[in-house]
Amino acid sequence: MIRQSVLVENRLGLHARAAAKLVRLASRFSSEVHLSREDANQQIDSKSILGILMLAASQGTRLVISIEGRDEAEAGEAIRRLFESKFGEEN
Amino acid sequence: MASKVERVFHGSGVSPGVVLGQALKLDRHNRLILKIHVDNVEAEVRRFLRAIEASKEQLAVLKSRLEENVGFEHSIILDAHLLMLEDRALNAEIVGVIRKDSANAEWAVIQATERLVHAYQSLEDEYLRERHSDIEHVVERILSNLSGDRPFSWENLPEDLIIVSHDFNPSNFATMDLHKVRGLALESGGRTSHTAIISRGLRLPTVMGLHGILSSVATGDALLLNGDNGQVIVNPSSERIESVRRRIEAVGAAAESALVQSEWTTLTQDGTPVSLRANTELPHELAAAKKCGAEGIGLFRSEFLYFSHPHGFPKMEEQLDVYRMLAREMSPHPVSIRTLDAGTERVSDSPDQASQANPSMGLRGIRLSLHMEDAFRTQIEAILRAGCDGKVEIVLPMVSTIEEIWQARELIAQVRSKLLETHGLALNAVPIGVMIEVPAAVLSLEALAKEADFLCVGTNDLIQYMLAVDRGNPNVAYLFQPLHPSVLHCLSRISEVAGKLNKPVRICGEISSNPFFAVLLLGMGFTQLSMNPLSIPAIRKVLREVPIEASRQIARHALSLVTSSEVHKYLISAVSKLISWDLTSYANEIAPPNGRNSK
Repeated sequence: MIRQSVLVENRLGLHARAAAKLVRLASRFSSEVHLSREDANQQIDSKSILGILMLAASQGTRLVISIEGRDEAEAGEAIRRLFESKFGEEN
Repeated sequence: MASKVERVFHGSGVSPGVVLGQALKLDRHNRLILKIHVDNVEAEVRRFLRAIEASKEQLAVLKSRLEENVGFEHSIILDAHLLMLEDRALNAEIVGVIRKDSANAEWAVIQATERLVHAYQSLEDEYLRERHSDIEHVVERILSNLSGDRPFSWENLPEDLIIVSHDFNPSNFATMDLHKVRGLALESGGRTSHTAIISRGLRLPTVMGLHGILSSVATGDALLLNGDNGQVIVNPSSERIESVRRRIEAVGAAAESALVQSEWTTLTQDGTPVSLRANTELPHELAAAKKCGAEGIGLFRSEFLYFSHPHGFPKMEEQLDVYRMLAREMSPHPVSIRTLDAGTERVSDSPDQASQANPSMGLRGIRLSLHMEDAFRTQIEAILRAGCDGKVEIVLPMVSTIEEIWQARELIAQVRSKLLETHGLALNAVPIGVMIEVPAAVLSLEALAKEADFLCVGTNDLIQYMLAVDRGNPNVAYLFQPLHPSVLHCLSRISEVAGKLNKPVRICGEISSNPFFAVLLLGMGFTQLSMNPLSIPAIRKVLREVPIEASRQIARHALSLVTSSEVHKYLISAVSKLISWDLTSYANEIAPPNGRNSK
């Protein structure tokens, strides 16, 4: 199992389009990917868009990602890059 | 679960009566979402999954179209909708509800998503808070795909329903099972809305203007609705229910006995005959019209045949059945059938729906009929044929130019000669009347009246157009003043011109069911009033105590006043002096509302 911390850097936060991208990406891996806010305990299935939106993660929110499964290393790397690229929105 | 705490809401009672029942909530698209027990749970789950698949296919098509037209970035919002449809947490919850409660899929969808929508609405982030509308779009798509393979059925519903909704499209009256509905509790609307008028006609206790009730009521909650004082109590205590139940039984008995005393002829105190007729829209109101002693149907609002029809346009034979029944049942009294008076927004399957931003001034009434000649010819044929079974009249709605009467008359003549020549039918004469409800018609009345066999004054619309007030808009509802001096002068002019040209003229609006207004109308010279059938006995009783000369004096003086409040005050005192019984409960009906400018 991998646990890593990511920062929501894009201006709009994890809104519908960004969340859609995250769900699509996470769904490509067989590993279970869960998200939680650093300041709260509730774990969200990152393959559920409604769950991600409910995190209400605005710009500057720090999230903890836990990944468990066969392809957890690749999944962790891909998700980290998605956050770092600000979801490809502000190029 | 909704808590069972008693909660009291206040609105305005627009149709009297006290009823107990259970809430049936209509959502904002007037979709009926009710829990129905399903026997085959797995079949229901499959039905839900099919709806999800169908929704996904539709969205995928939309998405690729959007990608082509505006680009990939914008299509991603539909991607979010697609992902919501695939959301395994949500779908698992919905399937869970279906299985656990043996419930229909529609109800399960609402159960699972309502909570979610509320959760979103409580988020601090404004952008995310607005995402509840995305969820609602998705829910709406699932629901419409669900209803695609099984239309809503009233069959399994209980018989003590009180409908709770934001507003209530009058067309719903045509599709719902009236035997199962005891009352209406609505967030919007007012006394003069069509829905209120029909509620009164149906004796369906109704309260409108109940702000916030929708979010406090769940389908199935016990409701106590009082249409007399506008109070609605959610989850009433058992003591309250018991005391009300006794009262309901007593009132029911008294109402029945009052109806029996109806007599057929109406005369003023000094013997001037007045003809009281019934406004009806649903065929089964006929029984009330006869029971109350209506001397004919003054206005049959035919659009309800259209609203209730699955394809929007009923066939000639279907219409003929209804018109013929009306003609026979009311014989020897006349039945005036108003041709379709609806805008395109209310007739289903109409192609022009989107283009009417302001439907009350759009393609409606005679305008729509002349626009859709075939549908108009069909209706005319049915009316002319029904004329063989009794006294039938045609009334043309929303006339604003003389050319419209010419064109309609020409079409009617064509239909008539076709029936005479090719079908060899022996038709009776069917008089053609014109609705006077647009200010333009009032001001050109001399010319219009010559083209009409009789005139009907549609006071509800006339007041609305005259005062430029949408009676359904709560922000300006206080300006909807039936006693506005301009309205009185308008009515007085109509009576005068009709008298000069010797044309029969009839008031066909809600106001004639108010005793004060009825006396005023009598004084202006109107001796034909058409109203909801249940008001006829009371108006008959009032007019029998009024000497015609006294009513003329009242009208003359009322016409000299300059504000609605003055007219109201004067009418109440002058008419009350003539009548031997207490009319207080009617005084509020015509009171200028508590608006900013009506001190």
